[in-house]
Amino acid sequence: MLSELLLLINTVLSNRGKKTIDSISVSTDLRKDLGFDSLDLAELTVRIEDKYDIDIFENGIVATIGEILQQFEK
Amino acid sequence: MELFYRDALLLSEVSWHELIEDLNNAASFNSYCYSKNYYTVFKQILLSIILKKEIVLLDSDFTTDELVNLTGFSDFGSFEQLINKKDFELIQSKTHLIDRIKKSSTEWKITLFTSGTTGIPKKVSHRFESITRFVKTTTSENIWGFAYNPTHFAGLQVFFQAILNGNTIVRLFDLEKEQIINEIQNYSITHISATPSFFRLLLPLNKNYGTVKRITSGGEKFDKKTIQQLKPFFPNAKITNIYASTEAGSLFASEGDIFTLKPEVEKWVKIVNGELFIHHHLMGESASNAEEWYASGDLVAITDTNPLQFRFVSRKNEMINSGGYKVNPVEVEEVIRGLKGITDVRVYGKPNAVLGNIICCEVQKNNPQLDETTIRMYLQTKLQEFKIPRMIYFVDGIQTTRSGKIKR
Repeated sequence: MLSELLLLINTVLSNRGKKTIDSISVSTDLRKDLGFDSLDLAELTVRIEDKYDIDIFENGIVATIGEILQQFEK
Repeated sequence: MELFYRDALLLSEVSWHELIEDLNNAASFNSYCYSKNYYTVFKQILLSIILKKEIVLLDSDFTTDELVNLTGFSDFGSFEQLINKKDFELIQSKTHLIDRIKKSSTEWKITLFTSGTTGIPKKVSHRFESITRFVKTTTSENIWGFAYNPTHFAGLQVFFQAILNGNTIVRLFDLEKEQIINEIQNYSITHISATPSFFRLLLPLNKNYGTVKRITSGGEKFDKKTIQQLKPFFPNAKITNIYASTEAGSLFASEGDIFTLKPEVEKWVKIVNGELFIHHHLMGESASNAEEWYASGDLVAITDTNPLQFRFVSRKNEMINSGGYKVNPVEVEEVIRGLKGITDVRVYGKPNAVLGNIICCEVQKNNPQLDETTIRMYLQTKLQEFKIPRMIYFVDGIQTTRSGKIKR
């Protein structure tokens, strides 16, 4: 799951001409650690929704990879 | 030292005294304002008022193509004029400066650009009266969190509200969440005006901020959920929703989502077939002002008639509201069509929890080599970032409606 998320995150990063990353963990913070802004967050939600049919922000904005994974368990 | 402006990105603080010195010492003035530095933008606006000259505000992220389309120029150095010091009455004090702004000439105007409904961005000019219609005079020493682009209408509203009351402005726009929180705390910010997207991204917070007395939002639908979530973190803040547009300026304010019209405004507003119309008396100046009534494109539902109350339902025209920025799909489609290898394109908004709507597009191509990266690199040279589709889907055919129009 983490590696699939990493792939989506790197797509978002490279679309904006930002540097891609090698790894993520449950504690990785999208904004603080990866430098995501509102456009990036919005794009990531759509990519996750397109692939898994889950709206990760359904219950408010999530901050970390761990919080995204929690949305999958619901 | 009385603080005028604080910018966390530039790590700078400018006092009112320094602002006055900078204005008095200014050697030249350019009627085109194209700068990333907010303080430079503020200074240019003030100089234009003092010199009674029109000022044209350009977004600092306009691409060269956009600048040429809008103004006919990509470089504005040749518009720089020397200031004749003989005509320049030196500003003595903060009160003197505020007086000068208030006595602004009726000749003065400020011009900005908005996404036109036809695909070509439109020029809109405001006189002092329409840009400051909703400025309230207060005696309190408010500290304004500045959370808009200074070359956009909403940013100008906050700027004039603050400057005409001699208040302090603290930049919050384009900062990281942690920085925003630090600034609110360290500068005891009392007022924050921002888009709902700004507030949604600020949440959740770890503690509450009692200094904030007023939260104002507008530019897109301020949903009840966000308002409810904000309340515990800003226990002393009154939360207000503002209806404003680049063309019409600020018109109505509400608590919650029901707008109540003041009697003095009511006669200048009418609702026809659910659409809000605004009389040109309340408007800025643009080419479309030929009509007596301006069709706002906003569909409203009347909830009471005496006084007139309504709430916003949706947009009639095709403009997509993404994070408070209005994007015209026709403008974006035209640019994408300009790329070789593309046979058809459809740009549309998809509802999104972060931005309200996210810009997406479907592309039909006849060049198999053409990929997403190539399209993105091309668009980056042609359009402001917020207009570039975040999702690009390659399709075999574009859906059209029965009248042959592109379906959105």
